[in-house]
Amino acid sequence: MPVKRMIGVVLDHGIAPLLLIPSIILLFIILVGPFFYMFWTSFTDLHYALPGREGSFVGFENFRRLMQQDQIFWHSFLLTLKFVFWVVTIEFILGFALASLLYHYIKQQRFILTLLLVPMMLAPITVGLIWKLLLQGDFGMVTYYMRMIGIIDLRTAIMSNASLVMPAIMMIDVWQWTPFVTLVMLAGLLSLPKEPFEAALMDGAVRWQIFKDVTLPLMRPIIALVILLRGIDAFKEFDKVFILTGGGPGIATEMLSIYTFRINFKDWDLGYGAVCAFMVYLVVLIMCSIFYKAIYWHEGRAKPAKVKIS
Amino acid sequence: MTAVATLVVVLVLFLTPYLWIFLTSFKTRLDALADVPVWTFSPTFEHYPKIFIDKGYLSLVWNSLNVAIFSTLLSLSIGVPAAYVFARYDFAGKEDLFFFFLTTRMAPPISIVVPMFLLFSLIGLTDMPIAVILAHTTFNLSLVVWMMRGFFADIPREIDEAAMLDGHTRGGTFLIILLPLASPGLAATAVLCFILSWNEFLYAFILVAFESRTLTVGIPGLVTPHGTLWGQVAAVAVVATLPILLFTFLVQKHLVRGLTFGAIKG
Repeated sequence: MPVKRMIGVVLDHGIAPLLLIPSIILLFIILVGPFFYMFWTSFTDLHYALPGREGSFVGFENFRRLMQQDQIFWHSFLLTLKFVFWVVTIEFILGFALASLLYHYIKQQRFILTLLLVPMMLAPITVGLIWKLLLQGDFGMVTYYMRMIGIIDLRTAIMSNASLVMPAIMMIDVWQWTPFVTLVMLAGLLSLPKEPFEAALMDGAVRWQIFKDVTLPLMRPIIALVILLRGIDAFKEFDKVFILTGGGPGIATEMLSIYTFRINFKDWDLGYGAVCAFMVYLVVLIMCSIFYKAIYWHEGRAKPAKVKIS
Repeated sequence: MTAVATLVVVLVLFLTPYLWIFLTSFKTRLDALADVPVWTFSPTFEHYPKIFIDKGYLSLVWNSLNVAIFSTLLSLSIGVPAAYVFARYDFAGKEDLFFFFLTTRMAPPISIVVPMFLLFSLIGLTDMPIAVILAHTTFNLSLVVWMMRGFFADIPREIDEAAMLDGHTRGGTFLIILLPLASPGLAATAVLCFILSWNEFLYAFILVAFESRTLTVGIPGLVTPHGTLWGQVAAVAVVATLPILLFTFLVQKHLVRGLTFGAIKG
């Protein structure tokens, strides 16, 4: 097998890092290339729907428009930040509570977790679809029970009500991703060393004190990881909103990804769309570098010593 | 006792929505659209053949399989050797490169898909499954590198040394000794790659033409403002999700690691 021999040759001659080259090349083609193309496009007037907008250089015009003229972009930006804040907060609290419950009181954790995992393993587009059915105005199952217990009245259709639709989408995200927080937090709780808890018990600490002074500090890196992961993911939210509302009613649910999608693939305003895409990328990149720091913070407890082979 | 009761309520809340779409896929039109939710009914099996055979959605399942399998294979064949190098060798800029892999995993699809669409149409690559397969390696390749680095790092270096004392070359040690030892991790990684690719919507939606669209791409078009055939829609949703749920149970042990980029070992 030639591939096998090639790998063998590379490893045996101390030039192992060469094995990284295929992956780096691939990532350059599918990621770095498009990234710089986006960067370039954002300085042009490229537009697929207007004549004479062939993509000539316009300098910072698109950035100026974003900063000074585009209120909808900033509406979307703010909406997305609010979404991220609320879903991450609620998912974290619920997920952590659920993980503690499983940790302390339930023996068949594995079986329960298996059931809990269902929402988070569904394709986001099907999650949107499921809830679109459940929240139908005239025959939706959830709508029916919400009316029955009097949360909403007869005339209200949640998905076309500008003040209810965002909370509904947040609730759906909470439904889908709370199990993720539970899963990770439970794994974190199970991985904690036992001694600090025994010592605290010996000292006569009550449960609340143990949670506050032992559990929380030990869990802090994992908490940071889970919050950042969810934050990054929520910031990128597209699929569910796309199928549930498409950004409507009006622009009530037009989050950043949906807005960027609209500018690029409905208005075909690609030069300006590139600026929007670039902004989304920038925010994610910043969150990502914080995430990276958090990983090393977490591993700081048991980071394997670096030993050089060869 | 209250703990168990709470848990039961929680499970009902998290599972009922999925149960509902499952039930709907076996309901007649009348039952599906009833004002008062119908929980017990005599099932009909007409929706599945209607949507998958008569309306040809079976080919979308095939397209999804095609994309998911090849994207997984591509990511594994390139990513596993890279992960091994990250786990066992030191070189200048290693951690920076590793961070670069992380950023590719996190990159927002909406930002990448726009320029990718423009570049791919320049070279005539859109409308072909290969476009989506390549696009899905943006997240799957780094998933492989991140997960497999951890699995290789879990294998003690003494095993490498013992194998080499036995006369194995370094390449032989990797292929004959380490790869089999890491195979449970490898299997889990492969399944996760498959799931992520199968579930992905935006790249596939933008990059692929009508004939080669995947199952997720076929979903939004089924929902129309009026007269949505919910039975058939539900049937598609069930087929798009049930195999994935079964797969999940296979890899549950490694799920935490996979979904936290190896940062937390489940």
